[in-house]
Amino acid sequence: MALKNNVYYKKFLKEPWSYTAGAVVLAALNIGMFASTGKPWGVTSPFATWAAKIYQSMGGHPETWAYFKSAANAEALKNSIWLDLHSVSDIGIIFGALLATLLASQFKIKKIKSVRQVIAAILGGLLMGYGARIAFGCNIGALFSGVASMSLHGWVYMIFIFLGAWAGSKLLVKYFM
Amino acid sequence: MAELRLDCLGEACPVPLLKTQKKMEGMKVGDILVVEIDHSCAMKNVPEWARKEGHNVEIEEVDDGQWEIYIEKTK
Amino acid sequence: MSEVVQKSIKTNSKSKKKVNQIPFGVVLLIGLIGFGFFMANQSPKSAVMWVFGVAAGFTLQRSRFCFTASMRDPVLTGSTSLTKAVIIAIATATVGFASIQYGAVIKGAEKIPGNISPVGIHVAIGAFMFGIGMVIAGGCASGTLMRVGEGFTMQMLSIVFFIIGSLWGAKDFGWWTNTFISKTKPVFLPNLIGWAPALLIQFGLLLALYILADWYGNRKSE
Repeated sequence: MALKNNVYYKKFLKEPWSYTAGAVVLAALNIGMFASTGKPWGVTSPFATWAAKIYQSMGGHPETWAYFKSAANAEALKNSIWLDLHSVSDIGIIFGALLATLLASQFKIKKIKSVRQVIAAILGGLLMGYGARIAFGCNIGALFSGVASMSLHGWVYMIFIFLGAWAGSKLLVKYFM
Repeated sequence: MAELRLDCLGEACPVPLLKTQKKMEGMKVGDILVVEIDHSCAMKNVPEWARKEGHNVEIEEVDDGQWEIYIEKTK
Repeated sequence: MSEVVQKSIKTNSKSKKKVNQIPFGVVLLIGLIGFGFFMANQSPKSAVMWVFGVAAGFTLQRSRFCFTASMRDPVLTGSTSLTKAVIIAIATATVGFASIQYGAVIKGAEKIPGNISPVGIHVAIGAFMFGIGMVIAGGCASGTLMRVGEGFTMQMLSIVFFIIGSLWGAKDFGWWTNTFISKTKPVFLPNLIGWAPALLIQFGLLLALYILADWYGNRKSE
């Protein structure tokens, strides 16, 4: 197939872009989200909303918690996820990555290799989920969008995410490798 | 001029690079290490590291989303 | 990326016969566009975020962008390429963000737009937890979503527990609010020290961090 050997196919869809190119495009997209919807990019808030919706369907009452009393969170919980802007962009990220992988013809289901990966995924997931709620965001919402918003919490987040990554690295080498 | 293989299939970042770094330390100049990976980020960061260290590097996509990285130790 | 080496060092090539996945990609692209138009009928804002989300996922995967690696690699492997890339991303975004915020201020907005949240010990603890979690799980929030799209079962498992952890955090949020957060408030740097000094400090710090990262990255490879 001729397309596979096309120089622009290789450049844009097959070979990885430079990190700098990625950085500039992501910054442009984040500015675009902020300008068009009034809210910068964020990723983790929808996770709490999705979980709460599931919990509600199982008979729980997360709407009585202080977290879901705030106007924005209460609205997100009440509405369909397709009206929650960051839920939509989160699902978009999954499909965008799938699209990029398929167009590069590099999709493969990568199986879990060992028990330590299972433990790492569970522990890491829980720590990130809890941490993101009390820190007001993740690497996107608090670091990328937070620092770019010139908010002091973004800078504090940057210092402690680095310290956390340092501690995590030590744990990874010791227990998860 | 030995050729060694390193199986990093199913390993997530940064494990492939850390294993490669460790393995390369114990190798002689001229030896070739073949790193097998299926982590899309490792196919960028392992060659990047090896080139920065001055080794000869080649990447081959052996299957969909699976690569072999050939690293020839030069120093 | 140049793959030119004078003499090939590859030995017995065991390249398998590959399946061409590009047609699947094209079908998916058509589906994604179609879904975007469907959504535009229901809620135009959602359709806009759909386009931005897909584009962000595409960009994250294509450039192998990883916020986790930007923080982890300096410690573990000595590489700072992604650290520098994240600094460039933040600096570039600041130009647009500050313009939007300044525009809002001169139009008389009461609340400054942007992600400006209360700053205190809760941010430090949460970020520290998040930092440990992302290194162990092999990806932060955006990285995990992107890897789910790439077919990593490990990240599919980690996102399930990410969601459970979020619910746990939301449940305890009331306690954190009463104990710490209610005693703190958001700090928008231009309100604290003025626009010009804030921008100078912002870009000055980012430049200093970039130089530090570059120096550290080169030092390690010696």
